[in-house]
Amino acid sequence: MIILQILVNGFLLGGFYTLIGVGFTLVWGVTNIINLAHGAIALLGAYITYFIFQYWHIDPFISLPVSFLSMFLFGYILQRYLMNLVVKAQIFMLLILTFGLEIFLVNFMTTFFSADFKSVTPDYAGSSLVLGDIVIPYIRLGVFMICVVVTLIMGFFLDRTWTGKAIKATSLDIEAAMMSGINPSKIYALTFAFGSGLAGLSGSLLSLTQAFSPNIAGGLTLRAFIVSILGGLGRIEGAFLGGIILGIVETMSSYVIGESYKNAIAFGLMVLMLIIKPSGLLGRKYYAEVKH
Amino acid sequence: MKRIIFALVAFMLLSFGANANADEITFGAALSLTGKLAKEGNLVKSGYELWKETVNKKGGIKIGNKSYKVNIKYYDDESDPNRGAKLVEKLITEDKIKLILGPYGSESVFATSAITEKYGAIMVQGGAAADKLYTRGFKNLFGIYTVATEYMDDILEMLKNKSPKPETVAIIYSNDLFSAQVAQGAKKSAEKYGYKVVLYKDYPKGTQDLSTVIVEIKGKNPDIILGCGHFQDTIVIVKQSKDYKVNPKAIGFSVGPALPDFVDSLKGDAENVLGAAQWTTTLKYKDPVFGSNTEFVKAYKAKYNEEPAYHAAGGAAAGVIFQRAIEKAGTKDDLAKIRAALSSYDEETLYGRIKFDATGKVVGKGMAVIQIQKGAQKTVYPEAVAESKAVYPKPAWK
Repeated sequence: MIILQILVNGFLLGGFYTLIGVGFTLVWGVTNIINLAHGAIALLGAYITYFIFQYWHIDPFISLPVSFLSMFLFGYILQRYLMNLVVKAQIFMLLILTFGLEIFLVNFMTTFFSADFKSVTPDYAGSSLVLGDIVIPYIRLGVFMICVVVTLIMGFFLDRTWTGKAIKATSLDIEAAMMSGINPSKIYALTFAFGSGLAGLSGSLLSLTQAFSPNIAGGLTLRAFIVSILGGLGRIEGAFLGGIILGIVETMSSYVIGESYKNAIAFGLMVLMLIIKPSGLLGRKYYAEVKH
Repeated sequence: MKRIIFALVAFMLLSFGANANADEITFGAALSLTGKLAKEGNLVKSGYELWKETVNKKGGIKIGNKSYKVNIKYYDDESDPNRGAKLVEKLITEDKIKLILGPYGSESVFATSAITEKYGAIMVQGGAAADKLYTRGFKNLFGIYTVATEYMDDILEMLKNKSPKPETVAIIYSNDLFSAQVAQGAKKSAEKYGYKVVLYKDYPKGTQDLSTVIVEIKGKNPDIILGCGHFQDTIVIVKQSKDYKVNPKAIGFSVGPALPDFVDSLKGDAENVLGAAQWTTTLKYKDPVFGSNTEFVKAYKAKYNEEPAYHAAGGAAAGVIFQRAIEKAGTKDDLAKIRAALSSYDEETLYGRIKFDATGKVVGKGMAVIQIQKGAQKTVYPEAVAESKAVYPKPAWK
């Protein structure tokens, strides 16, 4: 019975990993930027939810759009006026730039919000759905559902709308995209904005399930990284699959082998994937080929 | 004429200086007054200062018929144990002080006590709880903090007499050195008192999601859950135990419940959680210098306008014990006699009944057990000095 409960936990955790992975994999797949500041941006979202809850006592679920939109805007400006300057340079430069950004954001948060752990605890925290022996905390269930719905909407957006198709087109063949009237720098900025917005959203949801401090930014980025590698770059379905697998592997290894080994196992899995199928479970040709 | 005046002045100065020295006992302390341990270091210093003031107000340390005023020479180690060691060497060799009051922090005490041992100077410390301090065969170090491996002993001892009698214990701990030692000790104590340890598991330091561990605990359905970690882990364990409806008869932690932030962070969920504490403000101990622990707390509040933390009380108690040992030895210069007086020390102080074993480690003092009751910390054990009764079994989470 414990196994079942742990599988459920892993599945729910996987929902969160999916959401944090979607933004990351999208940005990586489309713009070829490995955004090392992804976790830090997610934490900005977490702080937005935290402060709104703390000072105006507004339910954290209601503040989600605020967090999404502000990070969306932040990401857009960041890409348009900072990343775009070096986007044509070596991929290595972009990596350094996002790494620098990560350091800046983490220190910014540490300075202004302190390194103390914060968490958002609404009144209904701690109440759970009980199904026989299985306990499902409502908050985790809510977080999972939002993650899944947002991921679905994102997939729909990419497949069915003009902008979404333009994003995909740009990632597949930038020259052909330009010939059909798509402005790549605009698309890049938009993609990065979506990536950041989704990161902010996932950060807000994170603040509901666990405590956070600026120091966990790196850990979040790594999770997003693993999800992307597992699922395949630039693919929404890939992120979903990767997220769920990561969630279940983490909880199962924590139970079977020990909490202290779960990171090692998660990374081992990633390395294994890179050896066996470097393009990821659902990765296909064209997505995130090195363009330089 | 000039010469005579010069000689007179010189004589007066000399005799003045000599007088001052004759009527004073100077202690030395190299503490962290700046840097990352500044908060705790300054608290310990506040304790030393309050002790000094109190003793001097009463006339000083009595040796035979003579009273000596207390003087303390401080240096700031800038939260660097190596610097602390150098400063203690300076205190001993340049300032000629052989009575050293300890710094705060296990690393600092570890480094500085090696120096006092080298020079045969005596250190009494109320600022470090690591077991490793007492495994080096030192003869000149006396510590009043209950060591890590004994942290959880009193909680288990208290619970063994409760009814319905708890039978099983789950122990989870953060995998850093200190917490691991606390957990090892807890396991040993549990076996000593006849509990069955059904789960003994570590988790990485700084983990923010322990749901798997909590689910595992739930599967074992233990009567007691003990968490040996840090403040943040404690919060996570309480929250997630509630999430997953894990309802033991008692839940206790080595770190967390004694801190004021605990109730702020958990609100109603903090209720009935047990914690281990070196010292609390409400313990009803007598004290040879302050009169009692209550008097100490009152004096501290009057001087500093805040509740004393256990760090400050540890500092004051270290001073008290040093003083009593010197009075008992009847000398301020014969270190062998003072050492012997400390070795055979056995007296109730504001920190509890203090007695040292051959390694200089306090024995039998134990930890106070506290419980959050109606949003406030209450000391519930040892029963003789407690302020209220422990709530047991703990009601289910609400």
